[in-house]
Amino acid sequence: MVRFKSRYLLCEVCVSNPSDLRLLDERAVFFAVKAAVSRAHGDYGTALIGMCFSVKYLNAHTGVVFLRCRKSHYRMLWSALPFISSLESRGQRVPCFFNCLHVGGTIRTCQKFLIRYNTQQLHRLLPRCRSDKERSEVRKAVLSCSLKVFRNDEEEDDEDWGGEEVAE
Amino acid sequence: MSDPGAVGGSVTYQRLVHKNSSGFHYMKVSLVFEKEGKRIDGAFFKQLIISALRNVYGEIGAAFPFDVLKFEEKSLTAVLRVYNSGLVKLWSALTLLGSYQNETCAVRVVQVLLPYQYTGGP
Repeated sequence: MVRFKSRYLLCEVCVSNPSDLRLLDERAVFFAVKAAVSRAHGDYGTALIGMCFSVKYLNAHTGVVFLRCRKSHYRMLWSALPFISSLESRGQRVPCFFNCLHVGGTIRTCQKFLIRYNTQQLHRLLPRCRSDKERSEVRKAVLSCSLKVFRNDEEEDDEDWGGEEVAE
Repeated sequence: MSDPGAVGGSVTYQRLVHKNSSGFHYMKVSLVFEKEGKRIDGAFFKQLIISALRNVYGEIGAAFPFDVLKFEEKSLTAVLRVYNSGLVKLWSALTLLGSYQNETCAVRVVQVLLPYQYTGGP
């Protein structure tokens, strides 16, 4: 079988004020990325990216974004991402930058990476806890997260997006 | 790229494959305006090409070096020098160039030369 191959870019939208993340929506990300590609790669790049570019998933709590693009031209999208300095949504301008965490061939590998990444982040957070209550909560989160990975491998479940909820 | 050589009265042909070792291509182009009598100097011509490149390939795509070696203001012809890697981009941007200061114009590529074919004349 022949199919159109894609690349999925797993990015993190970094903003200075965490409450600004609630303003994000897929349209804002879509147009910001498209404008960046247009500036960096001109009409040629915009046309190549426009064939198959879409924002697959956006988590407004953690700022995680999945971008999908044709495999043959994903480098153009990739190289344009660092030039995004702000997103415009609901009439407001949110200064931000895109941190590309992972580039994968399927959503599934990206999801696996994201769960692993979030677990790592929790492990990093654990020593920084100040009170016992915080510590126990992070511990609980780590445990529930690792349980999810275990279950994922058994069930081959593609729709389980539990990885991000843990990081909230 | 065959080189005829006469050996002992009979003509033999020798096949020469020339690898472009210098890495450059030379393009002879001419700028054609719809209305006659428009004047432009070399610096503006280069600026025109750069803006055309930027339109088509953006800031990253257009960031490659090329030179305007010669520009004749009378006949509006120029000789450009470009690295092999930028030839396709430069050529396509020249083809898509359509106007200069709201005047319709076009760039005709007269000749594309390899370094050893370029002798310095326009």
